[in-house]
Amino acid sequence: MTPTHPHNDDKLAKRVFDRITEEHLIPRPRWEFVFKNYFFWGLGVVAVAIGAIAFSAIIFEVQNADWQYAFVTHSDLFSFFLDAAPFLWVAVLALFVGIGYLNVRKTNHGYRYPLSIIALGAVLTSLALGSALYEKGFGSMVEEFAGNSLPFHRSIMTEQHSWWLAPAKGLLGGTVVASASDVSSFELRDFSDAVWHVDASDLRTPDLRTVARGGMVRIVGVPTTATSSFHACFVLPWETYGAGRGGPTPLPLALIASTSDRSHLVPRSDACKQTRPYAQLRELDDQDAL
Amino acid sequence: MPQTMTDEEIVRRTLLDKEVFSLLIERYEAKLMRYCERLGVGVLEDREDILQNAFVKAYKNLNSFDPTLTFSSWMYRITHNEVMNFFRFKRSRPQVILSEEGESLLTELRDEGSDTAAQSELRLSSEELAKAFAKLQPQYRDALILRFFEDRSYAEMSDILEVPVGTVSTLLYRAKREIRELLPELPLS
Repeated sequence: MTPTHPHNDDKLAKRVFDRITEEHLIPRPRWEFVFKNYFFWGLGVVAVAIGAIAFSAIIFEVQNADWQYAFVTHSDLFSFFLDAAPFLWVAVLALFVGIGYLNVRKTNHGYRYPLSIIALGAVLTSLALGSALYEKGFGSMVEEFAGNSLPFHRSIMTEQHSWWLAPAKGLLGGTVVASASDVSSFELRDFSDAVWHVDASDLRTPDLRTVARGGMVRIVGVPTTATSSFHACFVLPWETYGAGRGGPTPLPLALIASTSDRSHLVPRSDACKQTRPYAQLRELDDQDAL
Repeated sequence: MPQTMTDEEIVRRTLLDKEVFSLLIERYEAKLMRYCERLGVGVLEDREDILQNAFVKAYKNLNSFDPTLTFSSWMYRITHNEVMNFFRFKRSRPQVILSEEGESLLTELRDEGSDTAAQSELRLSSEELAKAFAKLQPQYRDALILRFFEDRSYAEMSDILEVPVGTVSTLLYRAKREIRELLPELPLS
């Protein structure tokens, strides 16, 4: 505060004008205020846009978190939730919705809107925009970028790969690269680029259909050697949602016709009955068979 | 005639001729001086300094004046913020001094009270009311002062305090509830 004295004996108007004259004050130009107003609106919009990107990543993570296989990859739902929940993106969304709110509050009439209205508007805009971005494959890009750039964040794809690169636990994921003509076995390249010889004798029609589709699959089974051969009990599809890419290329084999005798109702060998959630995996098989 | 000009017209003219600004100062000096006192600025010189700063700030920011609100609300807002800055800068607490002006608040509290007959006998000195005010949370005190001492509408209070109208209602509701709890402790005069 820089008041001008003396008091009382001097009229306030005179003292105000004295100070205006002494400090050579003039009204700040209008464009400064207009610019400031648009600036805060702009920051608000940018914050909501970042919130939308975060939301597209949340959808991507949730869609690709393998909830349906949680009982296979994790011992309990809580540990699965800790691994799969999109904590980072929820925090980013909340942070930027908050920043958006604070910036809108600083605009000319921002204070007139209740917190609930601004926050709801920012959240709904983020959700709508985020859903559209997800459809365009943005969620996948952002998640991949964050996974590669942030040391404290593992992308959901990297998480999945680590869950399914555990042959000792009976879990193997990767890409089908070749298959025997009688479908008794096939070759699979895992996420560390190692190639496995997979015994498919215990597989049933739904599993073989999945193999026939080609591309990436997940296998539940029993390792027969530590690093190169695997006895498959179940083959589950591996679909990446919201990645904005085409589906897998089918193998050039007429597998389905030659495997029609392998009904999913026929019990598997004793080796497969040792796989952890055998009963639940059978249920998944039954669903696929329908 | 200058005296018949609206505040908004004076603002427009001030941008062309700064001397016209004195009309606004004269128009608002007494009201704002009283407002500063009600907000708890006890020393006259401090109130004068605050007002001087407030008017200089208003002059510098005349181009930011938003015609969708009244000049009065805008000026009250600037003054309110200056008073808050003053307390922060001085690290002092407001000295609540209320002269014989709390009648509208007491009437409101009496009307809302459940035991109307007993409440109608309530007569509090301004000193006792000031004591209760001093115990109020600052945002409740500010809301009550604007509503019952400055006679401001909810919309004007929203513009002055820079909060939504709904928040003004909440502040007033809670402020009245709190002061009603405080008043029974005080002796009846």
